[in-house]
Amino acid sequence: MRGSFKRFAFLALGLVLVGALTAAVAAARGTKSSASKIRNGGTLTIGLAEEPDALDPTIARTFVGRIVFLAMCEKLYDLDSHLNIVPQLAAALPQVSKDKLTYTIKLRKGIKFNDGTPFNAAAVKTTIDRYLTFKGSVRKSEISPISSVDAPNATTAVLHLSAPYSPLTAQLADRAGMILSPKALASGGSFAQNPVCVGPFSFKDRVAGDHITVVKSPFYYGKAKVHLASIVYRIMTDPSSRTQALRAGDIQVEDRIQSTDVPTLQKDKSVTVSKAITIGYQGLTLNLGNKNGLLKPYSTVDTDLARSQFLRTAFDLALDRTTINKVVFGGLNQPDCFPIAPVSPWYKPSTKGLKCNLHANVDLAKKLVKASGISSPSVNLMLGGTDPVTARLGQVIQSMEAAVGIKVSVTPTQFTTALNRADAGTFDAFAIGWSGRVDPDGNIYGFVSTKGTLNDSGFTNAKLDYILNGARKSLTTKSRNTLYHAAMQIIHAQRPLIYLYHPVNYYGITKKVTGVQIFGDGLIRAQFAGYAS
Amino acid sequence: MGGFLLRKAGAALVVVFLSSVVVFIGVRALPGDPALALGAENRDPAVLAAIRQAYGLDQPLPVQYVKWASRALRGDLGLDARQLPVGHTIITRIPITLELALLAVLIGVVIGILAGVIAAVRRGKLSDHAATTSALVGLSVPHFWLGLMMIIVFAVDLRWLPASGYVSFHEHPLSNLEHLLMPALVLGTGLSAVLMRQTRSAMLSSLTADYVRTARAKGLSERSVIAKHALRNSLITVTTVVGLQLGALISGAVITEQIFVIPGFGRLTLEAVNERDYTLLQGVVLVAATGYVVVNLLVDVVYSLLNPRIRVSGSNTP
Amino acid sequence: MSFVDTSVAAINPRARRRRILRRRFMRRPLAVAGFLVAIAFVLAAILAPVIAPYSAGATDFNALLAHSSRHHLLGTDELGRDVFSRILWGARASIEAGVLATLLAMAVAVPIGIVAGYYRGWVDAAIARLTDVLLAFPFLIVAVGLAAILGPSLTNATIALGIGAAPALIRIARGEALALREEDYVRAAVANGASDLRIIARHVLPNMLSTLIVQATVAIPAAIIGEAVLSFLGLGVQPPTPSWGVMLSDAQSYLAQAPRLAIYPGIAIFLCSLSFNLLGDGLRDILDPRTTR
Repeated sequence: MRGSFKRFAFLALGLVLVGALTAAVAAARGTKSSASKIRNGGTLTIGLAEEPDALDPTIARTFVGRIVFLAMCEKLYDLDSHLNIVPQLAAALPQVSKDKLTYTIKLRKGIKFNDGTPFNAAAVKTTIDRYLTFKGSVRKSEISPISSVDAPNATTAVLHLSAPYSPLTAQLADRAGMILSPKALASGGSFAQNPVCVGPFSFKDRVAGDHITVVKSPFYYGKAKVHLASIVYRIMTDPSSRTQALRAGDIQVEDRIQSTDVPTLQKDKSVTVSKAITIGYQGLTLNLGNKNGLLKPYSTVDTDLARSQFLRTAFDLALDRTTINKVVFGGLNQPDCFPIAPVSPWYKPSTKGLKCNLHANVDLAKKLVKASGISSPSVNLMLGGTDPVTARLGQVIQSMEAAVGIKVSVTPTQFTTALNRADAGTFDAFAIGWSGRVDPDGNIYGFVSTKGTLNDSGFTNAKLDYILNGARKSLTTKSRNTLYHAAMQIIHAQRPLIYLYHPVNYYGITKKVTGVQIFGDGLIRAQFAGYAS
Repeated sequence: MGGFLLRKAGAALVVVFLSSVVVFIGVRALPGDPALALGAENRDPAVLAAIRQAYGLDQPLPVQYVKWASRALRGDLGLDARQLPVGHTIITRIPITLELALLAVLIGVVIGILAGVIAAVRRGKLSDHAATTSALVGLSVPHFWLGLMMIIVFAVDLRWLPASGYVSFHEHPLSNLEHLLMPALVLGTGLSAVLMRQTRSAMLSSLTADYVRTARAKGLSERSVIAKHALRNSLITVTTVVGLQLGALISGAVITEQIFVIPGFGRLTLEAVNERDYTLLQGVVLVAATGYVVVNLLVDVVYSLLNPRIRVSGSNTP
Repeated sequence: MSFVDTSVAAINPRARRRRILRRRFMRRPLAVAGFLVAIAFVLAAILAPVIAPYSAGATDFNALLAHSSRHHLLGTDELGRDVFSRILWGARASIEAGVLATLLAMAVAVPIGIVAGYYRGWVDAAIARLTDVLLAFPFLIVAVGLAAILGPSLTNATIALGIGAAPALIRIARGEALALREEDYVRAAVANGASDLRIIARHVLPNMLSTLIVQATVAIPAAIIGEAVLSFLGLGVQPPTPSWGVMLSDAQSYLAQAPRLAIYPGIAIFLCSLSFNLLGDGLRDILDPRTTR
């Protein structure tokens, strides 16, 4: 007995020593000087939630990569705060020929790339040709209807299309519209290691896994509007340490605050919390016809969900989207039943009159399970990730479905492996999100049209194909609205995908900084921000 | 001596070569097509095929291996999925882990040897029991859990230390130490438990050895007997143990860096696995294996210098 | 019982040795305590369906992150599941991984080690190189790699842990076989023309058994912690199956709001591996007089 007491004392002594040491370190910390305030100049540090991939728009694919590009690679077109497309490097919206096959784009004059070379139509041609022909180009499929590019004079670029393609302008307002310096491309080095475009800031350096630095460009046409001397993007994948760094003043802008930290930061007087309902969605892809693999001939698969539309409806009705949002995300997301987000101007017209069950209807779901004629139905739900939040989502769905008699087993799967399985068709249901595109085509076509390259559901419906192809060719907003409304009715009834919510991103911004903007696309626009005096 | 060294170095080379093959095959045995990771939201089969071609993933495995290995021999580990040179990335990450490991070894050695010596000298007494029991506790505690507990106490409740993250030494020396204190303690206490046990038993056997008895008989003070004779001889064993613990230290660093979000070598490894970044993962594991083999070789050499009998037996077990 | 024991002991030397060992073991209270706690964990694992008040996956969305109460002994987690029940269920994964991984490592390592140590020569050299290669990869990296290749699951984590633990055991088995081969009775058996298999089965293996048992009790807690680490990293047991490592991983997002979620599973891992370590230390003391702890 005496021995164990001494042992305890020994342990306590050790803890006291550790405590004393940490106290000494903590006491010394108080002497750090606070940053001085200036109107022009200064460095803004943004804590990014993920690591951007290659800084070459030709092969870039990550969301955070787009945040970095915003400061250093301007596009032919941009979005305003209401997600309308506005000219950026182009002088006006494109003039489209009657047959919808020729887009004439007038360019702004007197603009220079960040290496001092002139921006002109030849550069547009070089860049778009690269997007179309570069091995491994991720842009190619976004602008594949472009068959050739002409540059009749320095300020006019002409795009020739092989088929009408109404989402083209929207694509040119994203990475496919970023114009690269032909001189930098010709230098032979890796463009991603030293990207040069037109932009308020130019690339300075990058340390993988740590940071990317951009500095104010001397060549930028609007440099009078640029206040900051540099922007540092710090890669901070752990959400708690991001929040901590924001509160400590180590970073001034926090990308995507985790749900458990939002209430704390909202109480913090030195920080503004902004939110953006994203244009993406999180949903469940149900395997209906993907028997032999993506884009191979589709035929009904032998699963309970694929066999019965009643069961799919029951599965959906069992989901209490409000509770899912409360339990898994602290009530911070936007529960919904459609692929287009409420922030989009396309949302209201296309979902008019369609019912969305934000609360479960257990009784009706039970009846529908019975009506499906399938005794003890079961579903394997593949989760596209092995992180705790995704696991929580899976378990909540599991327990909600259990309440109506559908047995769900959950398989958390590493993301790439899950994509492999999804493309191969070896799954029943797959929980996966989509980052979202401004044009509704980008959130719908690829997933549910027979020829869609993201159609893991293997869904094929001749009427829907006809409608969606029509919407691609049609150029007036009114006719497209009508077509998307018709498409939505089919998707909503057949349920190749069950949509759960639109992610809402929360951002923390120190009050010392003004001019940081967050639009519906969820990107942090800090290029014209500055420190308040 | 020369022959022994040559033999050891030759064996190490063979191990490095075999490791490179194992790494190469192992990385490709991972489920999940890297082209899908590179194509991200773009899954058009034509695009994926182009990506495979661009990254040379469509070539036969032996061709891919020879290309990679011959470049690696020249010190070029290729470009990762971010189009950044793998070698450079690894070089920037290693010092972070080294600093962490060094601090941990420092903590482990100080606590471990001190406790071990005290326990051996006061064998059977209370302090011996205290030390052996804490060592046992130290061996049984999952260290990543200890890390979580430290975060709760020192970061969340007391707010003395940052819960996670990393600041480089030249950027802010004090902040650097603040960030590394808890991780180093977590890693170091694990090492100290092993070291304490080894030091204690090495000290016990040398305290009863003839030369120590002779030293005592000559009338030397107990303090100098312990310090000059017994401890010095025990240190050989302890050096070996530290060398052998290197693997455990690297393993520990992986999870410690994960919990405390330190952008070191261990975290880089997990990132490469999760992102299916073949070139990065190959580079990381090859460097880790080579480093481990080289350190073991050094331990062998140092050990054989300290203890010439080893050379004769030529045993593989150090 | 004791009557039967003594009568057998009078004629059977093995039983006598067993009795002596048992008496020596009983004189070590810490080892006995370790034994009892280890047994308790094994029982908890086996009987979880009977003794756990709730099933492991039973959610209650109206009682999220509840404190301990009469209904929930240790409170509930972020999905309203009973923490106490999940710890009982979680013992299954830990015990299974600990015991099976150790058995697997033994099954792989002992034959290879014996062959290397007994035959020496090129076989030994080849095996030594192979273990060197395996040892060149840190244990956790091997386990992480294998779990990633095979796909994350308890079975695969167990296999990864078993293979990861094997190289060190190969070296130990090899060393023992090497030493035993030089013993007089083995030399005598060789001279008498006994077959290799017979010598290994009759003389080498039985004589290294005590070393192996001690190694096993060291390997089990290491595998228990290893399972927790892999599950914590998302490479072991997959949710919703409860495991202490998974519980800790889930708890990480709630360190500020509900630190208790991180405390209880950790204590369970600690007690479980401590009990096996205490047991192992005790066994080492009574079985293997050569080592001084």
